[in-house]
Amino acid sequence: MVLVTSVRDYINRMLQDISGMKVLILDSETVSNVSIVYSQSELLQKEVFLVEMIDSISVSKESMSHLKAVYFIRPTSENIQKLRYQLANPRFGEYHLFFSNLLKDTQIHILADSDEQEVVQQVQEYYADFVAGDPYHFTLNMASNHLYMIPAVVDPSGLQRFSDRVVDGIAAVFLALKRRPVIRYQRTSDTAKRIAQETAKLMYQHESALFDFRRTESSPLLLVIDRRDDPVTPLLNQWTYQAMVHELIGLQDNKVDLKAIGSLSKDQQVEVVLSSEQDAFFKSNMYENFGDIGMNIKRMVDDFQQVAKSNQNIQTVEDMARFVDNYPEYKKMQGNVSKHVTLVTEMSKLVEARKLMMVSQTEQDLACNGGQGAAYEAVTDLLSNESVSDIDRLRLVMLYALRYEKENPVQLMQLFNKLASRSPKYKPGLVQFLLKQAGMEKRTGDLFGNRDLLNIARNMARGLKGVENVYTQHQPLLFQTIESITRGRLRDVDYPFVGDHFQQGRPQEVVIFMVGGTTYEESRSVALQNATNSGIRFILGGSAVLNSKRFLKDLEEAQRISRSGSHMV
Amino acid sequence: MATRNRTLLFRKYRNSLRSVRAPLSSSSSLTGTRSGVGPVIEMASTSLMNPNRSYAPVSTDDPGNSSKGAITVGLPPAWVDVSEEISVNIQRARTKMTELGKAHAKALMPSFGDGKEDQHNIESLTQEITFLLKKSEKQLQRLSAAGPSEDSNVRKNVQRSLATDLQLLSMELRKKQSTYLKRLRQQKEDGVDLEMNLSRNRYRPEEDDFGDMLNEHQMSKIKKSEEVSVEREKEIQQVVESVNDLAQIMKDLSALVIDQGTIVDRIDYNIENVATTVEDGLKQLQKAERTQRHGGMVKCASVLVILCFIMLLLLILKEIFL
Repeated sequence: MVLVTSVRDYINRMLQDISGMKVLILDSETVSNVSIVYSQSELLQKEVFLVEMIDSISVSKESMSHLKAVYFIRPTSENIQKLRYQLANPRFGEYHLFFSNLLKDTQIHILADSDEQEVVQQVQEYYADFVAGDPYHFTLNMASNHLYMIPAVVDPSGLQRFSDRVVDGIAAVFLALKRRPVIRYQRTSDTAKRIAQETAKLMYQHESALFDFRRTESSPLLLVIDRRDDPVTPLLNQWTYQAMVHELIGLQDNKVDLKAIGSLSKDQQVEVVLSSEQDAFFKSNMYENFGDIGMNIKRMVDDFQQVAKSNQNIQTVEDMARFVDNYPEYKKMQGNVSKHVTLVTEMSKLVEARKLMMVSQTEQDLACNGGQGAAYEAVTDLLSNESVSDIDRLRLVMLYALRYEKENPVQLMQLFNKLASRSPKYKPGLVQFLLKQAGMEKRTGDLFGNRDLLNIARNMARGLKGVENVYTQHQPLLFQTIESITRGRLRDVDYPFVGDHFQQGRPQEVVIFMVGGTTYEESRSVALQNATNSGIRFILGGSAVLNSKRFLKDLEEAQRISRSGSHMV
Repeated sequence: MATRNRTLLFRKYRNSLRSVRAPLSSSSSLTGTRSGVGPVIEMASTSLMNPNRSYAPVSTDDPGNSSKGAITVGLPPAWVDVSEEISVNIQRARTKMTELGKAHAKALMPSFGDGKEDQHNIESLTQEITFLLKKSEKQLQRLSAAGPSEDSNVRKNVQRSLATDLQLLSMELRKKQSTYLKRLRQQKEDGVDLEMNLSRNRYRPEEDDFGDMLNEHQMSKIKKSEEVSVEREKEIQQVVESVNDLAQIMKDLSALVIDQGTIVDRIDYNIENVATTVEDGLKQLQKAERTQRHGGMVKCASVLVILCFIMLLLLILKEIFL
């Protein structure tokens, strides 16, 4: 609730003190921040009758001085330039400027200089600089997410930009929560270390006064970790509703774009919204697995058919009156039912076409169970299978390589060759690049449960007991990290504190930021953990929300840049 | 949630830069009053929409500055008056609805009088409210704008917001009416039952005067049930009428009102759509312009006009030479 509520509160405060007809002006990033928590009808209630992007606002020359302009933008240099021009030629009666992060004094100076007409009424910093998709999950929607994999020497300015954006986002989250945390980071990741140190500098030195909040008995914890410590989770195919939609179709800002599927009939919805805040069915089913969802949807359809039948059976005048009264509810229910049915149908079709049941079983085995020989056989078989798509083949080989990196290098080589011969679009060396980035030496955590004695024992016990559902047996590494934090046993060696920070006992609030992006499987772990009311509240955030396509794209981009970088050197 | 106000710093910079820019002008006093004028006007305006009528003082100092007075007169466009009228009507309807609620409650209370006066009051109030709603709905249609422009988006959004208010009001009215009728019916039934019981009780001890008494009681019972059925018919008629009226309003409004929770209710979807419709509109306009220019109609018309002139000329020549 916490993240969504804070962004909504910011927007409410922005709009409520300004009376009269307003126009809301956003930039390409804040439009996601706002759209995901605030609906158009709510804006209309607050008398905001026009919403525009800062890029297109200067195109038209109409003067609309009966409107008051409310700007909500990020304080980037491009936005400041655009704003300069718009202030010098104002179109609206009043200008109220809200920035989603910290302004530099020079920027304020520039704006003051261009405000010759003195139309600006207020300049505020409202720190809603993150996309709050779910109550405990946020993202920064960064386009150049791949920069975290590139060492500083190759592209120092790119890495600096990446780091700045992440630090801004994390700072905004803590300002919205009104907390100042103790910071820890993953030792093996340079990017995580850099981000952790810069965040500490911002919160404790540069803007120390701003972050000086009322101290609670135990400081919250900010843990900065690297995606590369767990490359397995984004590669796996998912079977719980929200994660599955993102993996198979794609979920952006809680919207699903069905255009890409292409097999829809004319009158069906092309874009749908999947938001746990607005859709009760989705809220209760977003973490359920595919089989259970099917049953729940069938139940929903049956209920709806009952209602529809009773609506058709209009005999008395009272029935008529009741129908007219309940019509809006009925229409809403109909829209919701058709949305979920469409989604599940499309996903079933994709599962069938790509033979994902078969592929996913092998994937889960690779991720969770042992047996190199059997694994090799299974992967080879699937590589030879014609109906398996290229991306699935690539994922299988990657998972195998991550698991059995050191065992039997000959067979590994054979798999690489087979992959290259089978998949024409496969860029050679991608799997090796992945191993270089996220191989055994680079990882801190016990990804496969075969380092720590306790984990080995646990795995054996699980193998003996058998699993409930073969397809959802994987637990992301994040789950183990959360467990360690809950028990107060997060190792200092692996996750050191920044500077001279120290924390006694367990924190009550933890924000985990994953550099490189989170997945919906991990946000599900966090949500389920929070539901157990263990006394610690976890919030998860990342630079993007990954599915296997996005993760592979980031890898390819990083590989391309590394190659060209090494050529230049 | 933390915020930080940078307005003071901004104003400080602005003032210092202003004095640097125009050190000799007396604009500082004028701009000082200007910020005072704004809020006063806002407080004076009591309309629901409360548009910002900011009348900036005409600058009497350097003519160089006044050239930038693009926002000196901030009068809103004409359609804002229509929307203001609609919101005033909605407000009136709301107050009448509370009155109606009170009248309903009064009519339902047991009274000694006939209750016809209360009925009349209720009927007139209901009619007034329905009339207001219908009028507002017609005016709402007038707000629809032609052509894609920023102003038309504002109009569309104002229309949507008013349509939502109207729809809520009409649904409220429906609910109030139906609960009132239900309670009324219940009361009548109780009343009739009570009377039936009373008549039955009276009937018992007078069993011996069978013949006449029976006929009389039967006749009165028949008459009573007739009255009841006539009243019920009238009520049903009323219900049907109001269902019709309001169903019509709701049908028209549902085209305008946004379905909450769907993609249409997303801000980013609306921005993208606006962009594409504006582009499409522009393309269509350009196409229309092109076809019009090269249109056959224009050529035909010009040819005909030329012919007319030639004929006229021939006629005149004929007159001259004959």
